[in-house]
Amino acid sequence: MNILELNGISKKYDQEEILRNVNLKIKKGTNLGLIGPTGCGKTTLLRIIDLLETPDSGKIVFNDIDVLNSSKKEKIQIRRKIGMVFQKPVVFRGTVMENVAYGPDIRGRDKNELKGKISEKLESLGLGGYEDRDASSLSGGETQRMALARVLINEPELLVLDEPTANLDPLSTEKIESIILELKKNETTVIMATHDLIQGQRLCDEIAILNHKIFQIGSPEDVFSKPKNRFVADFVGVKNIIQGHAEAASEGLSAINTSSLIIYSSESLKGPVHASIRPEDITISLNKVETSALNEFKGEVSEISKQGALVNVKINVSGEIFMVYMTRKSFLDMELTIGSPLWIQFKASAVHVFK
Amino acid sequence: MNEFLNGMLQAINLILTLNPELVEITTRTLFISLSATFIAALIAIPLGGLINFKKFKGKRSLINLIQTLYSLPTVLVGLFVFLLLSQQGVFGDLNLLFTPTGMIIGQTLLILPILIGFTITALKTVGKDLTDLSISLGASEFQTIYTIMREAKYAIMAAVILGFGRAISEVGVAIMIGGNIRGATRVITTTISLETSKGNLELSIALGIILLGIALIINLMLNQIQEN
Repeated sequence: MNILELNGISKKYDQEEILRNVNLKIKKGTNLGLIGPTGCGKTTLLRIIDLLETPDSGKIVFNDIDVLNSSKKEKIQIRRKIGMVFQKPVVFRGTVMENVAYGPDIRGRDKNELKGKISEKLESLGLGGYEDRDASSLSGGETQRMALARVLINEPELLVLDEPTANLDPLSTEKIESIILELKKNETTVIMATHDLIQGQRLCDEIAILNHKIFQIGSPEDVFSKPKNRFVADFVGVKNIIQGHAEAASEGLSAINTSSLIIYSSESLKGPVHASIRPEDITISLNKVETSALNEFKGEVSEISKQGALVNVKINVSGEIFMVYMTRKSFLDMELTIGSPLWIQFKASAVHVFK
Repeated sequence: MNEFLNGMLQAINLILTLNPELVEITTRTLFISLSATFIAALIAIPLGGLINFKKFKGKRSLINLIQTLYSLPTVLVGLFVFLLLSQQGVFGDLNLLFTPTGMIIGQTLLILPILIGFTITALKTVGKDLTDLSISLGASEFQTIYTIMREAKYAIMAAVILGFGRAISEVGVAIMIGGNIRGATRVITTTISLETSKGNLELSIALGIILLGIALIINLMLNQIQEN
């Protein structure tokens, strides 16, 4: 069952288009990562989901309720089922206890009954014994965790996190991340914005690449290895992107004609396309070899850069640049320098084709 | 110089012996200015909140106007209230001219702009972030306004104390509406003004010391609040 559905959400500020026709469906219990560059509309989208902003057009359905057409009272009821932690958490004047008790308080819950629960929650977030501290005296990481406690105490069905670890030290980041992973067990649905791809991959079941509109949504593996378009490919750091025109070739393959090469792919997309080959899927040799790989080209080394145990070697093949990774050992064994001639090979199944 | 020293000594004597006239004037002054501040706060805090939280046309101009009125000359307020309360005025039948009640009305009007304006500023500094936080945590509109008011309470208290400071130290309204009638409407500032012109320095100095003392207390209270 979908806990939240967004249909055709658009939003403009002044004349600037922040969101364009955003569609999202989120299943209960999913951890969705919203990933995109700074200024891509992540925060605006999250604020729309938290009902802090109203979209110019579109439809929001939360638990089968049409949110935008509901009354003020109903909206408060819906908002009470959604918890949001802002990128820069702010605190109310008062103690940590008073801050965390705010949500239950306005819901009219019994204070004395709550105290134990709040202490438990603080304990689980590594803030045990912080009850009576002045909330404004906490460090950035502590404030962020308190903000999380302040939201979690209300047991939201949907948790919205805006860059929960931005500007935090590694230790605090790790704590927050483990808390988010912990939430998965309770079937809490989480939508989190991040610009950190690795974090998205680590914490989320699904990721959506956003830049004013959603460019791709899917499992992290899919998005990272099979970007659907150039924006996603560039954004997730896909290497070896080549532009060309794909046509059908024999045996279900497609042949991608760049201006200088013909590359075979096992994917079927036709027309003007981009193709990408992951560096780790490319092998190199000093001489032409007998191989099952359909793609084999002769080129020469154009750039060498050392990174830790690996060496990145860029190879120029008739004007197209291919990057490959080598271990230091094989790099030394092959005695490569700039201008060295060599052969590269990769399988048709290693060529990902996208628009 | 000798005259001043002499006056100073006699003034201290008046204060230490709790001179009845001195006590009477001080009590009346505090009563009038505290009442005016209390009434002004009752009007200004909700009104300031209303102006801050509601969106309406001309909001910016209204706030500008209120801020301009911070430096409203006291004699102008005096004149305005005089015209309202005098026999020919709209409220002439109430017979409030030359009464403490009339003075309270005048001082209330005098400090209202400061109280409203500073309340708006105080609420504004609480910021959109906390408003959003409150709404996001599930607060209703009323609960949100209450929360923001509570967040701004120290700044609002400072505004109230500032208003009291202006009320107690002004002369224009007190003399024009009160008329400086002995035993009825005489307050600290008007007495200083009259007694000095009569050459009766010791009472003036004694009242001056008391006024300064009140200013000091106000200042200490403001500092205390700002520390919170």
